[in-house]
Amino acid sequence: MKNIIILFAFLVVISCKNDDEGATKTFGNIELNFNNSIDNTPIVLEETSYTNKSNETYTISELKYIISNIVLIKANKEEFKYPVADSYFVINEAKSESKKITLNSIPEGEYTKIRFGFGVDQSKYPFESGTANFIPTAEENQMLWNWAAGYKFIKFEGMYTANGGSNTDFLIHVGSHGTTLDNYQEITLELPSALTIEKSKSPEIVINVDIAKIFDGINTLSLEQKNSIQVDPVYAPKVAENISTMFSTGVSN
Amino acid sequence: MKLLSYITLILIGVACSSDKDNYVPIENEKLEFTVPANFPEPSYDITLNPPTQKGFELGKKLFYEGQLASDGVIACGFCHIQDFAFTHHTHIVSHGVGGALGTRNAQPLHNMAFMKEFTWDGAAIHLDLQPIIPITAEVEMNETFNNVIKKLEAQPEYVKLFAEAFEDQKINSDNMLKAISQFMIMMISANTKYDKIERNEGSVFTENEAAGFELFKSKCASCHQGTLFTDQTYRNNGLPVDLQYNDIGRKRVTGEETDIYKFKVPSLRNIELTFPYMHDGRFKTLDDVLNHYSDGMVDSETIDPILKNEDGSLGIPMTTQEKLLIIAFLKTLTDDDFVNDNRFSEF
Ligand code: HEC
Ligand code: HEC
Repeated sequence: MKNIIILFAFLVVISCKNDDEGATKTFGNIELNFNNSIDNTPIVLEETSYTNKSNETYTISELKYIISNIVLIKANKEEFKYPVADSYFVINEAKSESKKITLNSIPEGEYTKIRFGFGVDQSKYPFESGTANFIPTAEENQMLWNWAAGYKFIKFEGMYTANGGSNTDFLIHVGSHGTTLDNYQEITLELPSALTIEKSKSPEIVINVDIAKIFDGINTLSLEQKNSIQVDPVYAPKVAENISTMFSTGVSN
Repeated sequence: MKLLSYITLILIGVACSSDKDNYVPIENEKLEFTVPANFPEPSYDITLNPPTQKGFELGKKLFYEGQLASDGVIACGFCHIQDFAFTHHTHIVSHGVGGALGTRNAQPLHNMAFMKEFTWDGAAIHLDLQPIIPITAEVEMNETFNNVIKKLEAQPEYVKLFAEAFEDQKINSDNMLKAISQFMIMMISANTKYDKIERNEGSVFTENEAAGFELFKSKCASCHQGTLFTDQTYRNNGLPVDLQYNDIGRKRVTGEETDIYKFKVPSLRNIELTFPYMHDGRFKTLDDVLNHYSDGMVDSETIDPILKNEDGSLGIPMTTQEKLLIIAFLKTLTDDDFVNDNRFSEF
């Protein structure tokens, strides 16, 4: 009789394993904190003037970008891919709540790296199921083009003056277009120290975003030379390249 | 002992049940997606969005649904009318919400599953995403996805249809776009006289049609290639630029100067029905089109090299008689079964 009961208990466990693996794993949460800054000082929209390496002074009126496809990586290279359908976010400088992303149900363990996408990976079209549900969010944030079926990966706008000249608008909207212009960037960052995920703790990862790099990264971009960059096979990829260098991890405070 | 094993079985069942397991699936038959024998493989990955009866039904309802537009009237089916192989044919360029004028001629919708990119310039690279453009464009449906979803959620009929069509039962943009695609990928036009001849189904060309086909193969098929009558590239076929619109064509998508004034080579299936012609609907008749090819071209940086003759002249030389023969052939590309197919009709 005892044997049968044990067998029975065993069967119950076995039979549930497939659809409910979670019962044996523990999960925790992570908070990603995007810190947009220039010269290590948080951005102030409209008010503060910044100067780029081309000696142009600018103010920022709008700063939004898309973060996607978040993956956490352990020292042994094991990856935890955050469910793709839930992995699209608009970071909007004007909305502080948008700069904090909470990732739920991360399997317990020690993670040493984070990888994410800037923009939306069009090479993966058709999207994995569910990802088109990002459309309304992108639309609310004006991150959709109105003439093409795709996303603006970044919307960066403001005014600048060069050489004491008059105030001029600048506008940088970069995305991927058709099958020829792919500006999606994948960014992998080392975490400052191994991050332990365990139940009932929500550690924070600070992602410092050096906005000055948009002008002065791998490439130096002068607004006098080009103050409106949209569908642009020459300048848009340069902006995207610069953007790929603007992220770094910081220590939470 | 026997009793005990029964209990065991029941307990196992109970222990594993979740909401998902309790949900009794509704009959939702898979639809047969058949590639016509003379067609290439589809570009659309059917396995990622297999059409089902309910999904198709929902897609069709959405296609004819005015609520997808801000004015509650302009449905997809307003600009894409079945009688004309789903073009908007009373208008040269499309008319949207509030009578707003677009700048381009609505394209026919047929054999979408076989196309790699969409619109005249390729601004959509997947069929599922194409509807984003008309739904949100001011001059078309001028609506937002959030609003559309709210409007659909308020209608019990849609709540039911979405639940029947999709496993997660939700009304959201992913399911909405998938349903519209299911409808569009089923819209295959492959029952023309031309097809029946290609598939040896007993039809034969008249003498004129046969002569027209030969001319077509030598003069037109380099671009209007194969069974789909398009090689799916972007080219400039020598149209004079209309300064009212100054439509830059493919350059809008690539930003490349070398792509200015290039447009996607359109399929010529159902061409008899899809007038007016060209991206801006500038030609009313096939005669006009052929006169353009023989005598109407203007030179430009990007005009297709095929259209430049050795003596430096432009165009495809054709006699009046040859034009008539080519038109006779083009009329064998009309698919009456398709335009009368009740599966695709609003009512
Ligand atoms: C106001 C008129 C209008 C409405 C409404 C409209 N369309 Fe269109 N459609 C057009 C025009 C014009 C084009 C060509 C666009 C271009 O080249 O920029 C087009 C192109 C397309 C194409 C591309 C065809 C090809 O061969 O590449 C598809 C697919 C399509 N429409 C589907 C839809 C769907 C689905 C809806 C409803 C959600 C819709 N359309 C609503 C006018 C309209
Ligand atoms: C160099 C490539 C090329 C050749 C050769 C060519 N076409 Fe075209 N055709 C095009 C392109 C590109 C368009 C669309 C142009 C636009 O709208 O700007 C087009 C449009 C058309 C249209 C209008 C279709 C519609 O849906 O509006 C017809 C009809 C047509 N061609 C027939 C022909 C015939 C008949 C021939 C042979 C006499 C021919 N074409 C040769 C490239 C070509």
